[in-house]
Amino acid sequence: METVRLRLVRNHMVSMRQHRQRDAVFRAVADPTRRQILGILRGGRQTVGVIARNFRMSRPAISKHIHQLHKAGLVETHSEGTTTVCSLNAKPLREINSWLQDYEAFWSASLDSLKRYLEEGR
Amino acid sequence: MTTATIAGDALVQEITIVAPAERVFAALTRPEELVRWWAVEGKVRTLAAECDVRPGGAWWMVVEGSCGSGGPHKVYGAYRKVEPPWLLEFTWNREGEDYPESVVRWDLEEKDGITRARVTHSGLVSEDMRQRNNGWSMIVQLLEAWVEGSRR
Repeated sequence: METVRLRLVRNHMVSMRQHRQRDAVFRAVADPTRRQILGILRGGRQTVGVIARNFRMSRPAISKHIHQLHKAGLVETHSEGTTTVCSLNAKPLREINSWLQDYEAFWSASLDSLKRYLEEGR
Repeated sequence: MTTATIAGDALVQEITIVAPAERVFAALTRPEELVRWWAVEGKVRTLAAECDVRPGGAWWMVVEGSCGSGGPHKVYGAYRKVEPPWLLEFTWNREGEDYPESVVRWDLEEKDGITRARVTHSGLVSEDMRQRNNGWSMIVQLLEAWVEGSRR
């Protein structure tokens, strides 16, 4: 519990930039098309062309979605000859998850402390 | 035991305390009580607190023992709703941080001298995000599924 509290305090020290990054991740996964793209990439790296074939929308539209996922740090891209290959990066998702868990732990520790104080006077 | 849920954009936690609601409310609003219970022994402690318990009134606590600089820093805000002993709502900020303000709300219910205290911490993501997403419980579930999946 103490470790959790300290981790939380550290997490409070997040900069505005990290906050924006978190917003970018939330924004990225809020869209069904982008979630589907992430789903495809979960099976392994894939070219933009192959990803686009799964959708009715145009390839430029899909590229735009991939660009947003890339900006949020969820998708890494690199060129292989004339094609662009995309792969999934789950790290930002893991970070958001641990941030939320830290907040949960903080309030849980505070409630336990309040209960102990009122019931046992310590 | 506490129970935790994520509802809309907020974290919600509950606990039952064998004490009347008035006692719980006092512990939440009296500086001399806050400094006694809002601490982790030997690690983090609340050095001082001040509470102007009325709507619009300011509150602050000086907390010591954090990481980084390790120096004391202020956690502060203003009361928004004060309805003793059932409801207390205030804004939540941390000094020296360029981080958006969030909101903490305590709801107390009492039955036979036992109080159920529920704390709701909302505004953890920006207003912009709250408007775009219909709450984030769905997103959080998705994230958890992703995180679990990506560990394999």
